This record gives sequence, structure tokens and C-alpha cells, in this order.
Amino acid sequence: MGKIRTRLGDGSFIELLEEEIYEDLVDGTQDAAQKGRIPPLSEDELRYLLDLYKSKARVVGVDEGHECCLSYDNMTSKIERAHISVSKFQQLQLFERALGADTLELAHIDYSYKQVKHVVIYDKPNMEQAVLLTIPPMLYGAMPNLGLYTYPDGPCPNPGDLLPQGKFDEAKEAYAQAIELAIKDMIFVGSELYEAGADGINFDTTGAAGDAEFYAALKAAETLKAKYPKMGIEMGMAGEFILGMHGEIEYEGVRLAGLYPHDQVKLAQKAGVTIFGPVVNTGTNESLPWNLARSVTFTKACSEASEIPLHANLGMGVGGVPLNIMPPLDALSRASKAHVELCRLDGL
Amino acid sequence: MVEKQQLFVEAKNSIVNQNKDKAVDLAKQGLDSGVSGIELLEKGFLPGISEVGELFGSGRLFLPELIVAGQTMEKVVEVINESLVGGEAKGDKGKVLIATVEGDVHDIGKTIVVSIFKANGFDVKDIGRDVPNQKILDEAEKFGADVIGTSALLTTTMVQQKNLEELLRKEGLREKYKTIVGGAPVTQRWAKRIGADAYAQDAGDGVKKLAEIRKD
Repeated sequence: MGKIRTRLGDGSFIELLEEEIYEDLVDGTQDAAQKGRIPPLSEDELRYLLDLYKSKARVVGVDEGHECCLSYDNMTSKIERAHISVSKFQQLQLFERALGADTLELAHIDYSYKQVKHVVIYDKPNMEQAVLLTIPPMLYGAMPNLGLYTYPDGPCPNPGDLLPQGKFDEAKEAYAQAIELAIKDMIFVGSELYEAGADGINFDTTGAAGDAEFYAALKAAETLKAKYPKMGIEMGMAGEFILGMHGEIEYEGVRLAGLYPHDQVKLAQKAGVTIFGPVVNTGTNESLPWNLARSVTFTKACSEASEIPLHANLGMGVGGVPLNIMPPLDALSRASKAHVELCRLDGL
Repeated sequence: MVEKQQLFVEAKNSIVNQNKDKAVDLAKQGLDSGVSGIELLEKGFLPGISEVGELFGSGRLFLPELIVAGQTMEKVVEVINESLVGGEAKGDKGKVLIATVEGDVHDIGKTIVVSIFKANGFDVKDIGRDVPNQKILDEAEKFGADVIGTSALLTTTMVQQKNLEELLRKEGLREKYKTIVGGAPVTQRWAKRIGADAYAQDAGDGVKKLAEIRKD
């Protein structure tokens, strides 16, 4: 039997026998099932994934009836990163009219709430113009990025310095201070941009600094939702489980550290989030079949637990997509099709 | 024999449960009853720290606990070291200098790596974040490092890992140190391309890779 060409999680090509691909699919789903304490994929679902890898098609797409929304985070930085000289408005129009985006996102190049609060006065008129020029829902996006509130970038002591010294209480106090400042910034920016015409706000890469950051984003979402009940709030995650950097923080009586996507979404929902973006990390030393089966297993459990729309993160190093700056299309399209069709996603 | 097995189980649990006093007592008890320090480490305490790493990696144990488990392990190693003539195994697995590269202030992952490396018996010096390559070399010389580990979270800063390899070659120091690279955008392919000796996907993988490159 001939070998099938696929990739490792770092994007390099490998060739595997059909049975080796199937073994990797089984191992991937079992890994997710064991870590997340969720059901593994069924044999039918694994065979479906196997067929995706057996297909010689360079690019695959969803079957009729499975079409979904396409949203993009940090939209107005992506074209700039490709060194294409167009304005933010033109970028938004390109996404809307040429690239099939169903939601749009205005963002500042320095993509953190702490940084963007200083340019809110400039991005408010940008938002006013952007909503006049385009039709789809318009979000304003940035990252909670709690790390920016601690030394050397912020005013609070750095728990990363305190913890190794055994200063646990001081580290927790530092987190408490940073949380307070981050919540304040997220509410300020969210309020200002919503009042300037945004349909909603995106908390992107939430939880990158662990449980304290997830808590800050949940509290900010809760406050914004109470203040603006019709506001759309998207929350995209940073990793598949919440790192317990603090370890004891709870939201609504639930300890945040160690939560996997199917538990994260329940709290996001409670906080007033209207679109949730689960993330499953790609292991660069494992094959794409292993990674995809794993990602679909986590995302499917998240979809089943969710009562709000899910737009899963698929891109560089997440969602069974290789860790490449320009994700290869064979891998990205297979991951997209599998997630949408097996996890009943609302969007990507 | 059963007692010895029980001792190993309790030793392992003392690390997993981050019980410093109990771990030290068990180490002393084992040594007093004639169990060798090496056996105590290999069959009792090291499987404990290995389980701690796995629990952390799957989100079942958190950073403060990881650090206390690491400190517990360090105490045990101290006790066992004292019992060994000439310092057999323990903290002499090698000296590792660790830094986050210049331009990068992300050090959450590095903090975890440092804890796990120390807990596994490596002598680790963490020189912080945003460290220029020349300073990394100077500190490695002062510390007498065997291995230099660098972390980069950004695609824009990972190039410093390549620059470090070039600096090592330019200074004629490339053969003196083993290098290990890690960080979110870093891959095995990147490590190979720049000429690093090893790539670590996470802290647990780092321990395995350190052991491998130290054997070479």
C-alpha cells in the first residue's frame, strides 16, 4: 500500500501508511479524551478524518449545508503584516468584499487593551467611519495581556519573579492588582468603542497569562454586558487549558485553573460572552492527523456544552494547523472542514 | 522488600503532594535503613517529580504547586547529596544557564522550565528576560554552564536564537556549550536550521532533551 503525504505540526512533510494515520488519529483523540475527561471520537468520525487525509485534493471544503461564518481576529494588522500599503478602512473592505469575512474587526497595531486605551481617541473616529463604510457586524479587538501590567512593562510586581522565591502571597497580591487594572482598561476601551458605533468587542487570546487573566476578561465581559445589554462580546482563548499561574482564582464558584474548552465556554456564557473561540494547541512533534483528531475531540465537547455560537480558532499553531506563519492550505482546509462538520461550528 | 516498595511509593507521593517535611523525613529514613541515595531518587522521588510535570502539563496541577514540588525535590536532593561520598548523582546533572532572548519579556514558560529543570537535578541559573546575546555568553562563562537554554515567544524575537548560535561560532565557543531552544513559535525544524543542539516543546520534553544532549 502506498504512503500518504501529510505533515508534522511544524509543517514539514512526512509520509505515513494508511494504518499509521489511523493509529495517530486514535492516539490523538484518546489524548484529548484523557486530558479533558471527555468522550473520544467515534470510529465513524475517525474514518471520516482518515478519508480527509487519503484525499489527493490539494484543498478541501465543507459539504453543502455546512457553510459557516468566517471571522478574523486582529483583522487590520494582518494585511499590514504582509507589507501591503492600504489603510485600515481599505483592509476592512478587502475582508468584507474580497475575502468573505462575515464579521469585521478594527484593531490597533499594538493589540493590547492597555496600549490601545491611549489611542482610543483616534480609534473612535476610525470606528465611526468603518461602520459607515461596511455592512457586517464590526468588532473592536485587542488582547487582555495581563503580563503588561507587571514589571518590566507595568506597575505591579511580577509574579514570575515572586513565585520562584516562594513569595506566594505577594504573587497573589500582584495578580490582584494587575487584574483590577486590566478590568478597568477593558471596560474603558470596550465602552468607548461601543459608543463610537462598534457592534461588539473581542477579547482575543484570553488567558495567555493564565487564570488571573481569564478572570479579568470574564469580569470585564460581565460589566460591559450589564452596561450595554445588546453589545456583542467575542472571547477567543489563548490555549487549550487555563494555566494555573495563580491557582486559586474562582469565577462563579468555579476554579479557573486547569479548565478545558468545554468548561471555559460555560463561564464565558455566564459572563455575557456572545461568541466563544476555543483554542487547541498544535504539538509540533506530532503528525497533523494526531493533532487534528485531538483538536476536533476538544472542540466537539466544547460545542456540545455551549449555548452560544462557537468560532473556533484555526490558524498558526492551533486547531490542528501547523505552526507556520503562513499556514499551508492543504492543512488549513482539512482542519477547517473537519472542525465545521464534526463539531457543528457556527464559525471559524 | 515490601517496606522498601512502600517507602518508594510514599517518597513519590510526598513530592506529588508537595510535602517538604515528609519528603525529607522519608529520605533520611531510607538512608538510615540502608537504601542507597541513588535508588531513593530513581525509584521514589524522581517518579514523583515526573508525575508533577505530567499533572502540570495536563492542567491538573498549577504553578505555585509546581514550584513547591520543585523546592521539595531540592530539599530531598540536599539530604541525599550529604550522604553521598563524592557527590554521586543528584544535582550534578549539569549546569544550565537560561534566558529569554533580547526584545522578549515573556517569561511565564521560562519560569516553569526553570522549576522543572531544578527539580530534576540540574543546576540552573536563570538570568531573566530581554537578555542580549553577549550577556548570555558572559554569564555562561561566569557560571561555567554546560548548556545554554533560550526562550522566545515571538516570531520577531526567535531570530535572536539564531544570532546566539552565530555569536557562539564567531567567538569560537560553539563546541564548549550545548544549546537548547524553546518558546511558542519555536520548532524542531527551527532548532535544526539554526544549528541548536536541541529543541524542547515544553518543560518535560526539555528534561528529556537535556539528558540526551548531555550524553552526547
